[in-house]
Amino acid sequence: MSRADLAAGNVIRMSLLFRVQHLLLTVLLTVLAITGFALMYHENSLAQWIIRLEGGVHNRGIVHRVAAVLLMANLVYHAFYMLLSREGKPELRQFFIGRQDIDDFLQSLRYNLGMAKEYPRFGKYGYKEKFQYWGASVGIVLISVTGIMLWAEEFSMQFFPKFILDLALVIHGYQGLLGFVLLYLWHIYNVHLHPSVFPMNPSWITGKVSAEWLRREHPLEYEKLKEEGLL
Amino acid sequence: MKRMIRPCLAAALAAALFLTAPAVAAVPGVDECMDCHGDKTIEKTLPNGQTVSLYVDLQAYRSSVHGKGSCVTCHVGAKAPHEKLAVVDCGRCHADAAKSYAMSSHGKARAKGATDVPGCSDCHGKHDIRVPKDPAARTFRLNIVGTCLQCHKDQALEQKYNLPGQQVMIAYQQSVHGMASSKGGLTGSAVCPDCHGNHTILPGDDPKSATFRQNIPTLCGKCHSGILEKYEASVHGRGMRAGIAESPVCTDCHGEHTISRISDPSSPVFARNIPKTCSGCHDKEGISSRYALPKKRFSSYMDSFHGIAVEYGMTKAANCASCHGVHEILPASDPASSVNKANLPETCGKCHPNAGPNFAKGNVHVEVSPSKAMGVFAVRLFYTLFIGALAILFALHVGLDLYGRWSRRKENGPGGKEGQS
Repeated sequence: MSRADLAAGNVIRMSLLFRVQHLLLTVLLTVLAITGFALMYHENSLAQWIIRLEGGVHNRGIVHRVAAVLLMANLVYHAFYMLLSREGKPELRQFFIGRQDIDDFLQSLRYNLGMAKEYPRFGKYGYKEKFQYWGASVGIVLISVTGIMLWAEEFSMQFFPKFILDLALVIHGYQGLLGFVLLYLWHIYNVHLHPSVFPMNPSWITGKVSAEWLRREHPLEYEKLKEEGLL
Repeated sequence: MKRMIRPCLAAALAAALFLTAPAVAAVPGVDECMDCHGDKTIEKTLPNGQTVSLYVDLQAYRSSVHGKGSCVTCHVGAKAPHEKLAVVDCGRCHADAAKSYAMSSHGKARAKGATDVPGCSDCHGKHDIRVPKDPAARTFRLNIVGTCLQCHKDQALEQKYNLPGQQVMIAYQQSVHGMASSKGGLTGSAVCPDCHGNHTILPGDDPKSATFRQNIPTLCGKCHSGILEKYEASVHGRGMRAGIAESPVCTDCHGEHTISRISDPSSPVFARNIPKTCSGCHDKEGISSRYALPKKRFSSYMDSFHGIAVEYGMTKAANCASCHGVHEILPASDPASSVNKANLPETCGKCHPNAGPNFAKGNVHVEVSPSKAMGVFAVRLFYTLFIGALAILFALHVGLDLYGRWSRRKENGPGGKEGQS
């Protein structure tokens, strides 16, 4: 955090590397969703229009696979970064799910229903962020494995009976749908529509949030930074 | 040598005199007829005022199949000069043709007095009749379509006799058969009489007609005999021969007059059109339940990679015929069928060399139901419920969150007054 940031009351929430990974994820997931759902719902006229726009079903496949390879590369890079880098390791530790998260979730429900006085006090990542992060990670791993199986169908056929490939196809498609629901109902609300950030949380572009926002939404993190003398 | 020629000549002369002398006396010879009918201007006026030329082109007559005969062979009892002659009866010599013609639609209409349906001369000509093998004959294979179309392109006749419309004629002319004869000049290609008969032409709904549904395989098999053999052994052919009228015959898949090459995108048997053609029967509820056939063949195929690829024009992808065969289609239960479990590795292996015996484990494009595809059904159900439940929970959480913030908007703290920023 530079002096100017501190003077402006800004706190770094996403480093440049994370923002790049996040932006890649955003673009690639969008491309994959458009090309993927066009195939999954190919009898739909909008899907047919999209496939024509992509230059037919063959080119659609190429676009989908190029985006998929980049997404998987991004995932592998992210995994290594989180496991091995100086910045990643403490980040990963903060993403671990513990007893506290369940308590926080229940307390937030009670608070919103008027049965508790205090809203849960989150650290850098609350249960909403953790759920989002692990949901997306597990989903991308699952969709990647089934995607590779289907892509390398000649190879897969040597080892798997047909019904396994049928299952892989169903899982691949529905997992995509699940991810889409997660993104649109959960993530978009939390980072764009939520009253505390509307119209959006700028950290995905600038990497920064205001110290005041942090104090209100992630008080434990705020206090920690204060103790460390970073604020 | 000379000693032999003289008596022979004498005998021939005597015979000629003996044979022709009485005829000359009783009936006119060709020369006498031509005295009048060789005049290009000779004509008669019909009661309706129309004039008809009575000129006979001697050269055309001489080079016709009857050219060596005399006028009176056909115009029996003609004298020179003469009044109205009797109608020529070709059946005097061509009894078989006359008999079968009389049984045809043309013959029956004519017997009822219709004059605008073709008689012998309309197809064969009058004085210029040539054998069908002669390229100049109207009935020569490459000319006969034109001969039939003289009438069958006439819209007045079409309406009067409720004949097949113009499109049918145009369709034939543009079909693989029509093009092969008109453009390609191939005499082996089917022309009208090959399917409809020549003298015994009957409408297709007459069981005696060559184009009656049950007779069609045999009819097409006249030229396509190897295919007929395969078809007869197939489930379609066997069903047809067993009297199941719903079993497809050649024309159900290939069309009738429109028959075109399989490489022609307009053909019902073009790769991209095959799923639609087959499902014309196989997607019918009645047919699948009557013959205990698996259901949802079309939608389950169209949802597969093969179906989607074919739909978007990747004609290399498997269509119905790629796996089930074309003319030799057999039910999967038949050990000889290409889709019998034991043969699937080989059939799928045509395109997927790694599709071993492993690949045959599992059903191919079936209705997703617990009994047919339990795994896919269960996973789909799980995801549907899971996504649905998740969406509802998300919405509830978001709603609750907004409610909490709204109800405490006056308080300070998270979700409170400042939280409204």
